[in-house]
Amino acid sequence: MKEILKITDLRKTFNLSLKQRKLEGTNVKKKVAVDGLSFSAYEGEIYGLLGPNGAGKTTTLRVISTLIKADEGDVFVDGISVKENPDEVRKRIGFMTSEMKMEGFFTPNYLFDFFSELHNVPEQVKKSRKDMLFKKFGIDKFAEVKISDLSTGMKQKVSLAIALVNDPKILVFDEPTSGLDVITAKVVTDFLLSLKEEGRTIIISTHIFSLVEKVCDRVGIVIDGKMKVSDTIGNIMGGKSLEEAFFEIYKGSEGKEQ
Amino acid sequence: MKNIFAIFKKELRRFFTDKRMLFMLIMPGIIIFALYSLIGNFIPEADPDYTYIVYVENDTAEFASFHTNEMYKTEIHSISEWDKESVLNAIKEGDVHLFISYEEDIINKIATYEPSSGDPAPRIEMYYNSSSMESSNIFTYYSGILNAYEATISNKFDINPGLTQYDMATQEDMTARVLTSMLPYMMMIFLFSGCMAVVTESIAGEKERGTIASLLITPIKRSELAIGKILALSVTSLVSAGSSFIGLLVSLPQLLKGMNFTLDIYTPGAYFALLAVLIVTVLIFTVLLSMVSAISKSVKEATSYGVPLMLIVVVLGLSTLMSTGSVKSIWLYLIPLYNSVQCLVGIFSLTFNPMHFVVTVISNLLFVVGGVFVLAKMFNNEKIMFSR
Ligand SMILES: Nc1ncnc2c1ncn2[C@@H]1O[C@H](COP(=O)(O)OP(=O)(O)O)[C@@H](O)[C@H]1O
Ligand SMILES: [Mg+2]
Repeated sequence: MKEILKITDLRKTFNLSLKQRKLEGTNVKKKVAVDGLSFSAYEGEIYGLLGPNGAGKTTTLRVISTLIKADEGDVFVDGISVKENPDEVRKRIGFMTSEMKMEGFFTPNYLFDFFSELHNVPEQVKKSRKDMLFKKFGIDKFAEVKISDLSTGMKQKVSLAIALVNDPKILVFDEPTSGLDVITAKVVTDFLLSLKEEGRTIIISTHIFSLVEKVCDRVGIVIDGKMKVSDTIGNIMGGKSLEEAFFEIYKGSEGKEQ
Repeated sequence: MKNIFAIFKKELRRFFTDKRMLFMLIMPGIIIFALYSLIGNFIPEADPDYTYIVYVENDTAEFASFHTNEMYKTEIHSISEWDKESVLNAIKEGDVHLFISYEEDIINKIATYEPSSGDPAPRIEMYYNSSSMESSNIFTYYSGILNAYEATISNKFDINPGLTQYDMATQEDMTARVLTSMLPYMMMIFLFSGCMAVVTESIAGEKERGTIASLLITPIKRSELAIGKILALSVTSLVSAGSSFIGLLVSLPQLLKGMNFTLDIYTPGAYFALLAVLIVTVLIFTVLLSMVSAISKSVKEATSYGVPLMLIVVVLGLSTLMSTGSVKSIWLYLIPLYNSVQCLVGIFSLTFNPMHFVVTVISNLLFVVGGVFVLAKMFNNEKIMFSR
C-alpha cells in the first residue's frame, strides 16, 4: 500500500475573538484546535476523521487543503509538503464541503470550464473529462441550466463533478452528508464509493457513525484536537458497534483529562 | 496573466448576464433620470416670444445695447412716462417686470470713479418681483450682463462693450458655475455607490456564500485573483456610474431649462481628462472597498464598514459646492480622492491644470498598485479569509 497522505504532529492554535469568547463562555484568548495530530492515508482508500463538534476535524482538513497554515508539523500529499509547496499540492488535491456553494447564476458547463482554466487543464483533456463526468452524473441534460435553478441533488452532483476538474489523486471532503436530505446524501455516498473504485484516495470528516460504517476503510478518532486511535474500521470496532467503540474511547479520554 | 483574464471574464459575465445584476447596475441611472425629469417638469417653460416690460431711469445710449439680446424680447419704457411709485406697484401686480434705475450721468461717474477714494460707487438699482417667474428671468439677465460689464470696467481703458462677447462670457460662466457646483459632487457619489454595490457583492458576497474557498484552493496566485477582481469590478462600477451619469445628462436640459446653458465650452481634451480621472477614481474606490469587503463576513457587514468611507466621499464632494476653481498646491494632488475631486472641479470650472492632472493620475495609480499588493496579502491571510 502506497502512503499518499502523511500528517505529522500537526498543531494549530486560534486566537479567539472577543465575540467568540462570549459565544463559548470562556476567558481564554487562545484555542488549541489541533494538538499534535498525526495519521497516514493510503492510495485507494477512504479515510474518515470521526469526532464530536469542535474536535478539530475541519481545521485539519483545511490545513491539508492549503487553505490555512499549521503552526507546527506538516502535511505531505504524494510526498509534497504543504508547507513548502502549497501550489503543487493544490494541483493534486480536491476540496469539498457540503456547505461549499457554487455561484448560482452560472451554468454547470461554464463553471466546469472556469475551474478547468484555473487548474490549467489542457482544452482537449478538459473536454473529454467533462463529457465523462457530466454523463456519469447525468448533468449533461442540465449543462446549460443555471445552478440556482437546479434541484439540490443535481447541485451537489455538479459540485462533485467540479471538484474533479483537475483529476485529483486525493479528495478531501468535510462533512460530506451533513445538511443533505437522504436522497442527496445517497448521491454523495455513491459518489465516494465510485471514486474509490477508480483508485483515488478520499479523506472525509464526520460525526455520523453510519456514514463511517458505510464508506470508510480506516478511521481516526479525533477528540479535543488529538488523534485517539487510527486503525481499520474492523480493528476499532472489535466486535462491538462503532458507536459503542467510539464512546469507550471517548470516556477513556475524559478520564485522562482530569 | 491567463488566470487574471479568466477571473476578469467570470466577474463581468456574472454582472452583465444576470438580469438582476444588470438591473442593479443601471437602476440608479433610471431613477435619476425619472426623478430629475419630474422635477424639471415642475419648472415652467419660458415662452421665447414673451415680451418683458422694463422701465429705465436715466437710461444712456452706452447701455442701450443691453436691451437687445437673443433670449429675451424686451419693451423698454422711460420712467418719465410714469412715476416711480406706480412702476413699483405695477411690478408687484405683474404688469411690469423690471425697473432699472441708473444714477444720473452714470457713464461719466463711472469713468471718474476711484474705488480707492472711499466715495460711494456709482449706483445702479434694480427692482423686480422674485415671486414672478418672468420678472426673475429678466432680472437674472440684466444682473448677469451688468456684472459682466462691471468686471470689464475695473480695467478702465477698454470700455468697449462688444455685446455678443458679454453674452458668450455669461453663457460660459453660467455653465461652468452650474456644473462645477453640481457634477464633481454627484460624480463622486455615483462612482462610490456604484462601486459599493458591485464590490461588496463580489468579494464579501463570495465570502458570505462560501464560494471564495473554491477559488483559493485552485493553484492561481492570490495576486492574480486580486488583479482580476479589481479590474472587472472597476469596469462594472464604471458602467454603473456611467448609467447614473447618462441619466443626469439626459435630464439636465430639462432641469436647467431657461438657463443659458451649453456643453460646447468643454474641449475634447477636457472630456478625455474627465474620463481618465473617473477611471483612476473608480480604481481607488474598488481597491478600498475590496479591502473593506475582504475583512467583512457578509455583504451587510461590508456595507456598514463602507459607511465611513462614504462619509469621507460626501464631505469631499460637499467641499466643492462653494468652490469656483481647483486648489493650486501641487502637493495636495498626491492625496487620493481629494485629488480626484479637485481635478473634477478644475475640469468643470475651466481652470484645468495638466500638471495637477498628471500628478493625480500617477499618484492614484501608485496607490492602486500598493492596494493590489495588500489585497493579495489579505487573500492569503487565513485570519482574514477564514475568521470566525
Ligand atoms: N477560524 C477560527 N478562529 C477561531 N477559532 C476557530 C477557528 N476555526 C476553528 N476554531 C475553533 O477550533 C476548534 C476546532 O474547530 P473545527 O476544526 O471546526 O472542529 P470540527 O470541524 O471538528 O467541528 C473549535 O473550538 C473552533 O471553535
Ligand atoms: Mg467541522
